[in-house]
Amino acid sequence: MPSQLEAPTSAGGGTAERGTREPAAPETVLVIDDDSTMRLSCRKILAKMGLRAETFEDGASGLDGVAKTKPAMVIVDLKMPGISGMEVISRVREIDPQVVIVVITGYATIDTAVEAVRSGAYDFLPKPFSPDELRLIVNRGLERRRLALASQQHEIERTLLKRRFVTFISHQLRTPLATIYQYLDVLKHLEGEDEAMRVRRREWLDHCLARVQELQSLITDWLTLAQVEGGTLSRERTKVDLGCVITDILRAYEPTASAQGVSLEARLPDDCLLVGGDRNCLSVLFDNLITNAIKYNKPGGSVTVSGSQTRGEVVIAVADTGVGIPEKYRPFLFEEFFRVRDDSVKKTAGTGLGLHIAKRIVTEMGGTIHVASEVGVGSTFYVCLPAWREPAAVGRESDAARAANIDRR
Amino acid sequence: MQHEQRILIVDDDHDFVEAISCFLELNGFTVFRAYNGAEGIRLAKMNQPDLILMDIMMNDRTEGFFTIHEIRRDASLKSVPIFVLSSFCTRLPDFEIPSSGGWLSHDMFFTKPVDTAQLLEKIRQRVGAAV
Repeated sequence: MPSQLEAPTSAGGGTAERGTREPAAPETVLVIDDDSTMRLSCRKILAKMGLRAETFEDGASGLDGVAKTKPAMVIVDLKMPGISGMEVISRVREIDPQVVIVVITGYATIDTAVEAVRSGAYDFLPKPFSPDELRLIVNRGLERRRLALASQQHEIERTLLKRRFVTFISHQLRTPLATIYQYLDVLKHLEGEDEAMRVRRREWLDHCLARVQELQSLITDWLTLAQVEGGTLSRERTKVDLGCVITDILRAYEPTASAQGVSLEARLPDDCLLVGGDRNCLSVLFDNLITNAIKYNKPGGSVTVSGSQTRGEVVIAVADTGVGIPEKYRPFLFEEFFRVRDDSVKKTAGTGLGLHIAKRIVTEMGGTIHVASEVGVGSTFYVCLPAWREPAAVGRESDAARAANIDRR
Repeated sequence: MQHEQRILIVDDDHDFVEAISCFLELNGFTVFRAYNGAEGIRLAKMNQPDLILMDIMMNDRTEGFFTIHEIRRDASLKSVPIFVLSSFCTRLPDFEIPSSGGWLSHDMFFTKPVDTAQLLEKIRQRVGAAV
């Protein structure tokens, strides 16, 4: 059976990596000039700049070179025997419109240089020019190209993500709606008044309510995600005591957990778990981790939340004694809508957004999140966040005031 | 005398399977339930249903298509009618399947939720009324 999980790693992941690594490879600059001294000095200067230099003595061989070496930049003399510099410009742009073209020209042909720029050259370099002038124009030209490529890449990724998100979200919204509709539609036909029929009708209404609940969670998560992404929730930086946040959450889930035979334990030091952030966001983050730890646990199991602070970093570990996460799924765990679908895992309600939201929040706050897990034994999620640092320019009095003002909502 | 018409439904949404199966059973069909593609293939081979209802987007986004493909490879299941039921998109052309000549061409496509009365009518047209 084809696996949705494995396919994207080789194909999708690889492309994304190539995209971001591209600037690290040396860029090729191609020089076309019939003057051999000029070719040699350009080659030397470009090599010293860490670029790959290719030189050609006329337009025809230069155009071959462009097709073969796929340069980032072409520096071309306008006045050459054979194919003219102007012709070279238009042909290069046909091969690859992203190539940055700089023309070399004598003072006497400045009009031609202007014409060249009009027809698509990036800039011109009047002869004679100094090594510094060449370096400056090459650096500027390459920088412009990198920006253009980056914004193009960004645009492509954004479009793809948006399309994928819309497809998924519409499927995720439509599925429970379709099921609710289907139940109600068939309920019209369930006319019998016997006990079995009554029980079935009752059950189906409960199922419908559960699916409505599912829709509500999805919409809530979706909105939270939009807010985190928009930065409206996470830009806030107040002093928050994670000990209080976590204790509150554990208390709220006590009844749910004990109904499932799962015990909750906090091993938190008294007052050193201070971080700077938005309390609502942090609440959502640990709520997601703790509900998961309860949801994917076993009867008789436990959830232990422990915390510590070392070297300016607060680390919170949420450990469960649940089913664990098979290694092959771990790389995808924090992706939106990813859900472990394994025969060993009972079908559990959820939107597939919880961990993705958790990751977004942690990242926005400059922290990290990772998981250690053993199948059948349990999983531990580690959240590392920068510890709260008092702003430098505050006196002792306002310090005290701030300390008294710790957000204990 | 005709045997009782048998229908296989393949869908990972248990509630959806429950509603449709119950409706078909009320209308005299025998229904086999499968909640993923592999189970669907197994039950199809074992029970030789008269018609199959197939979801597309299950654990894998195109699991239903692969399942249909697999089922069609079995000689005895080459011509069993397969109705596609999906909420993945609203129209068949979105799947970019040619309307003629494709391996789905003579089968039917339904958007979830389905109009059960219409589904029943289409099923009866295919396999005759249930006994």
